[in-house]
Amino acid sequence: MVRITLNQISTSREYWSISASGTFTKGLHLVSGDVGSGKSTLALMMCGLLPLSAGNIEREEIKTSTISLQFPELHITGLTLAEECASWGCDPYVLLDSIKLTGKKEMSPLTLSRGELKRFHLACVLAKDYDLLLLDEPFSSLDCEEKVKLCARLEQKSQGICIIFTHEQNILPGVNRVWEIENGTLVDCGTPPDAFRNWHHIPPVIKKLMVLGSIPRNISRNDLQEAVCRIQE
Amino acid sequence: MITAEFLHYRNLKIDSLSIKPGITTVIGPNGSGKTTFLKLCAGIIAPESGTIMIDNLPPRETEIGWVNEFPDRNILFMNVFDEIASPLRFRFFPCDEIDQDVRTCSEALGITSLLKRSFRDLSGGEKVLVSLAAALVHNPGVLILDEYDSHLDERSLTKIEQGIMMSGARYVIRSTQQMDTAIRSDHLLFFDSGLITLSGTPDYVFPFLKDTAYYPALWEC
Repeated sequence: MVRITLNQISTSREYWSISASGTFTKGLHLVSGDVGSGKSTLALMMCGLLPLSAGNIEREEIKTSTISLQFPELHITGLTLAEECASWGCDPYVLLDSIKLTGKKEMSPLTLSRGELKRFHLACVLAKDYDLLLLDEPFSSLDCEEKVKLCARLEQKSQGICIIFTHEQNILPGVNRVWEIENGTLVDCGTPPDAFRNWHHIPPVIKKLMVLGSIPRNISRNDLQEAVCRIQE
Repeated sequence: MITAEFLHYRNLKIDSLSIKPGITTVIGPNGSGKTTFLKLCAGIIAPESGTIMIDNLPPRETEIGWVNEFPDRNILFMNVFDEIASPLRFRFFPCDEIDQDVRTCSEALGITSLLKRSFRDLSGGEKVLVSLAAALVHNPGVLILDEYDSHLDERSLTKIEQGIMMSGARYVIRSTQQMDTAIRSDHLLFFDSGLITLSGTPDYVFPFLKDTAYYPALWEC
């Protein structure tokens, strides 16, 4: 069974530090936290791109892994969309058709709008299955429709561990486990809906639904709409 | 009143539009013309044809504060104090007046502790707050914010929302993908493929967006 275990890992900078312990198993995980709390740093440490100041990480049956950084331009290696697709092992015709960028394969990725570039990059990342997939702020720069599509895509993933590091509050996929970074420490809030009781970064929408006496089963848009319907009944 | 008549810039086309003072929020898909519209309102770009006027003046003759989605792209100075002071220094204000105005603005936004810091070391939320301070320090009549909230958490957003409310700007025009933010507006504009397809109060606009991703989850509660 795929598994990644953080054994008291930590790192620090001038104005903050972060420490984390916990085990992530197969499924979708959400890591929430304020801007600057260390979500990106934690993702980089988990991916092995940033050295640990202390502790260690155990990886079990993780043969393939990748990270999607918050700013998609940092991933670009190809001069054209076709070259960029090829660098991810994707067929440009199929991939560009799927995200409504048909006919743009000779364009430079850096001429796309920010939303288009994010959509393109995420399509490349999600074209393959990984044992460990780390997504740093995958929803930023996407419009509401694209956020909904991304949630559907993530919910369909059946293989490996997928960890979403985000501050998105409104459009999220249903997840297996909720985590948060609070006061420089990674905290395991548990599984939804029980996690809602311990979650400091709980989205205001869910908080309001709870006040109204309708607890959503999970955090996806469908779960929220179902909870709204229960109130209206 | 902000008015646009037969406004045309690339794929953006607005035959007629009037915006009253208050908070106007621009929503819609990526590539629908939101940023182009904000840049036209700010005078950053000029219309290819047609007109846009703010209280009967072209945008370039109006005091405007601008906050970008990526504050790093607009930053001129490394130090936070220098960045906030820059709009006043460029106007050759007296030094003591600049000092006072920067401190008053920073206190109002709760960022006096950042004044000696390097901009590069700030968190994303802090960067937007500093950009907001630099946009507000010269008391603009129009405050424009382009997807300023797309990289911010709820706590930072609350602070920035308070800053917008106390800005004193006669017009606030902002774009967002957070519909919970869009709810708190006097006027909503929904853009699609370069056209404004819906315009009015949130009460008027959101019912048309039911069953779309732009409909706020709690709108009916």
